[in-house]
Amino acid sequence: MGGLQKKKFERGSATNYITRNRARKKLQLSLPDFRRLCILKGIYPHEPKHKKKVNKGSTAPRTFYLLKDIRFLLHEPIVGKFREYKIFVRKLKKAYGKTEWSAVERLRENKPTYKLDHIIKERYPTFIDALRDIDDALCMCFLFSTFARTGKCHVQTIQLCRRLTVEWMNYVIASRSLRKVFLSIKGIYYQAEVMGQLITWVVPYQFSHDHPVDVDYRVMATFTELYTTLLGFVSFRLYSSLNLVYPPKVSWTKLSALSASLARVVSSADEEEAQLDQFPSEGEDMEKMEAREKELKQQEAQKKLFEGLKFYLNREVPRESLAFVIRCFGGQVSWDKSVCIGSTYDVTDETITHQIIDRPSVGKQYYIQPQWLYDCVNAKILLPVEDYFLGVTLPPHLSPFVEEKEGDYVPPEKLKMMALQRGEKPGNEQEEDEEEEEEEGEQEEEEEQEEDDNGDEEDDEEESLHVKVTPGKLKVENKARLEQEEKAEEKRLAIMMMKKKEKYLYDKIMFGKKRKVREANKLAAKRKAHDDSEKEKKKKARK
Amino acid sequence: MAAARRLKRVAISQPGFLTLNPKVTPTDLVSSRRKRVNKNKKKNWNKYSDVQDVEEFLEDVRHQERTTGGLLCEKSDDSLFFLDVGQPKKVEEKEAAEPVKGKKRKGKSSRPLRIDLILQHDSLVAPPKDVLAYQKPNAKKLRRTAERAEKLAANGVVPRSKKRLLNRTVVDRMSKKTETEANNNPERDFYDIWGQETKDLGEPWYLQQTRKKLVKRPEKLNEKPSVLPAVEVIAPGGSYNPDFFSHQELLREAHEVELKKKKVEDKLERQLAYNKADTATEETILREQVEGLVEESEEEEEKDAPKEDGEEVAVGAIAVADKKTERQRKREKAEKMKEQQRLTERRQTEQQQQLFQLRSIKTSIKQQEETTQIRQKRRKAKEEAQKAQPRRLGKLKFQPQDMEVQLSDELAGSLRQLKPEGSVLMDRFKSLQKRNLIEPRERAKFKRRLKVKYVEKRAFKEIS
Repeated sequence: MGGLQKKKFERGSATNYITRNRARKKLQLSLPDFRRLCILKGIYPHEPKHKKKVNKGSTAPRTFYLLKDIRFLLHEPIVGKFREYKIFVRKLKKAYGKTEWSAVERLRENKPTYKLDHIIKERYPTFIDALRDIDDALCMCFLFSTFARTGKCHVQTIQLCRRLTVEWMNYVIASRSLRKVFLSIKGIYYQAEVMGQLITWVVPYQFSHDHPVDVDYRVMATFTELYTTLLGFVSFRLYSSLNLVYPPKVSWTKLSALSASLARVVSSADEEEAQLDQFPSEGEDMEKMEAREKELKQQEAQKKLFEGLKFYLNREVPRESLAFVIRCFGGQVSWDKSVCIGSTYDVTDETITHQIIDRPSVGKQYYIQPQWLYDCVNAKILLPVEDYFLGVTLPPHLSPFVEEKEGDYVPPEKLKMMALQRGEKPGNEQEEDEEEEEEEGEQEEEEEQEEDDNGDEEDDEEESLHVKVTPGKLKVENKARLEQEEKAEEKRLAIMMMKKKEKYLYDKIMFGKKRKVREANKLAAKRKAHDDSEKEKKKKARK
Repeated sequence: MAAARRLKRVAISQPGFLTLNPKVTPTDLVSSRRKRVNKNKKKNWNKYSDVQDVEEFLEDVRHQERTTGGLLCEKSDDSLFFLDVGQPKKVEEKEAAEPVKGKKRKGKSSRPLRIDLILQHDSLVAPPKDVLAYQKPNAKKLRRTAERAEKLAANGVVPRSKKRLLNRTVVDRMSKKTETEANNNPERDFYDIWGQETKDLGEPWYLQQTRKKLVKRPEKLNEKPSVLPAVEVIAPGGSYNPDFFSHQELLREAHEVELKKKKVEDKLERQLAYNKADTATEETILREQVEGLVEESEEEEEKDAPKEDGEEVAVGAIAVADKKTERQRKREKAEKMKEQQRLTERRQTEQQQQLFQLRSIKTSIKQQEETTQIRQKRRKAKEEAQKAQPRRLGKLKFQPQDMEVQLSDELAGSLRQLKPEGSVLMDRFKSLQKRNLIEPRERAKFKRRLKVKYVEKRAFKEIS
């Protein structure tokens, strides 16, 4: 046939994609090297929309990359370094095999290395881009810093991760940017606000580690390589934004103990934060501005949550996490000397205000369990300490990452917290509970007697009172309430006037809306029943 | 002619050649004919000149020089001759010489080795001087430049090469370069990578021509491959000290996951289930095999009768149809025309009636539109849901992790007694797969190329 006929799989999506093996051969790299390169450069496989077209008719599962991405990879100077490393390994093996130790030394001294700075600059052209991706980097670095220093991954990587994580924590302390903490069964979740970006990261608990077998350590190590570089540069920038010296000149022990205050580049006297002029931005009313101001004030108050308080951590509590949280909000902290270096004061110091303990009972008044600190941070105020004494069953640790909408079930602990935040004292409720408990012990007859007494008293008063004309009291009518009542009446009228069909639809809608409220009520009732049953159990226990 | 003469001469010069004439000897015959030679040619100088006498003389001279180191005639008398006076002096010299020798020598005097003697030069002529060894090319020039350099050095002027040598800094070979430059060096330095202004290396055209232009990163690579966030916080029921209801919620979700798994298993079992009543018993097998074979007589008669009828009918059907007549054809045509007319009329009436059906048409169109809109919405919602799902990137499908849940009796009351569930490492690995950053991977299995053969030892064979 003629030569200009269109053939299948020569145009369009079939030519835009390339399989993994073809890409590897094009780059002349081995498979682990190719994977490492893709991870470092940020090139990910794509799933094409029409697999059959791209795969030239077959539906075998293959990994596809975009051809343009692979062509871009060809210009990368690191590819040369990978090849050099391969040759270096080959020569080293030969030298080992021939037992030429001088050659081995010489080769080792001239081992080819590469740096990833240009890749960071290319992938994150601005600082804010880098900040957006820092979540992942932080998680990896924290994870690797908890690894044991066996030979599985380079010990140097672990050390570098440890250094970077400590520097990051010190930055967060210095900038007071921690906002939320959540203790889960997997690890501890932190959220901080840095330069307007909300950054969430996970820190695993120190005391557990069964290394799962299915995880590919090489892939994780490559990611960590990239992320350590990124985190280092971001840390530098963040430190310089606070006018702090990077790398911090404080000794490593103090730094890792999170007990040091970082040195500033330009030693400035206590700066008074100048009151910024308030200009409403476009489209904002006075209300919104006021709301914003309120928020800012709240944040400022939150940053000084633990200011002036001195804490002492006992040996069985997670020291690093607690020290981090305490120092983030301005408190002072110390611990036993045998736990870690860097403790500032001893148990016997008299100015200690709170002591954090996790054991069943010691007996004294001001010993608290560690959950108090975390709940305080999430609630943004200092919660009453009584709920967290030793031996007391702790209230549940709620997640700060849940935002409840209207009508959803809100656990009573959260209600209490919100009440506290608003400034009302729920201490009354507690007192009431206690009184109720005491009263239940009394019999009903006594209560009836009391009521009778009250009733008698009232009767007496009435008899003694002569009818007098007293000036009338103004009944202050709430205008808002009146309006609401009027609206409700109008609504009722409108509902009465609806046609049958429309009423049917309206009923359906209202049923759906009220369902949530009904569920919340149900749950509240359940909770009440649960609480009541607990109280009964307690009574029985007492008896 | 010349060849014949040569032959004769050769024959004559052979020893034992006898001439017929006894008086004539072969030498006379040979020498009588002498060839005339031109001695002036260079070719013949060596051939036909006799220098034997000169050679003898020269040989004599050389011999004298070799053995005595010079011509004898030139030597002095004292060196050649001595006056013989007597012997006793020599005996004293001998006695004086003896005690000098070592005690080891008992009777044999130490003589030099024969090989040494052989290898010594035995001629007293000195070997000639190798002039080339003393020759230096450009000796004069070099001498002059050296003198000039000395003069300049005396004045303090140092040549350029020396100046560069002095300016060279010492290379620090002791520091380990590779360790400090490695990317994961724990003491590595960081700098402000975003603060530096881009160095303007040159004009873009120049950079392109000299191949120093950096390749631009394609825009598509800056998009994130998934909309999922990097860190997904666990549900509130996953707290170490959870609220009752959120914990129940979490348990319910885990329960549902387990239910699904169980459903799949049950379905599989149901499909594979086998009803025992369906097994073939001996009776049924026998009946099947014997079908059509037993009770032949009765059945044959029954079968014969219907067969014959069938044949007759078949014979009737095979009869050839008659040709169509003109009338039949005309009739058919007329019928066709009628049909067509009817159809067209019907169509027209339908079109006219549709005017009155407008309302119902409208409603049907509306319904169709609604259904299409609903379908579009559904499809969009599906697409959005698909975006949040992990893409199929390789051979393996993405396997989500098991939910991290602690049962009510496993819940710890305090932080000290908490036993962590799940590992952050696994969580991060799965998160990377979920966000389409890497393809799902499994641990590589150990595949053998050659099969392993199990053989019992002889001793065991006897036992078993």
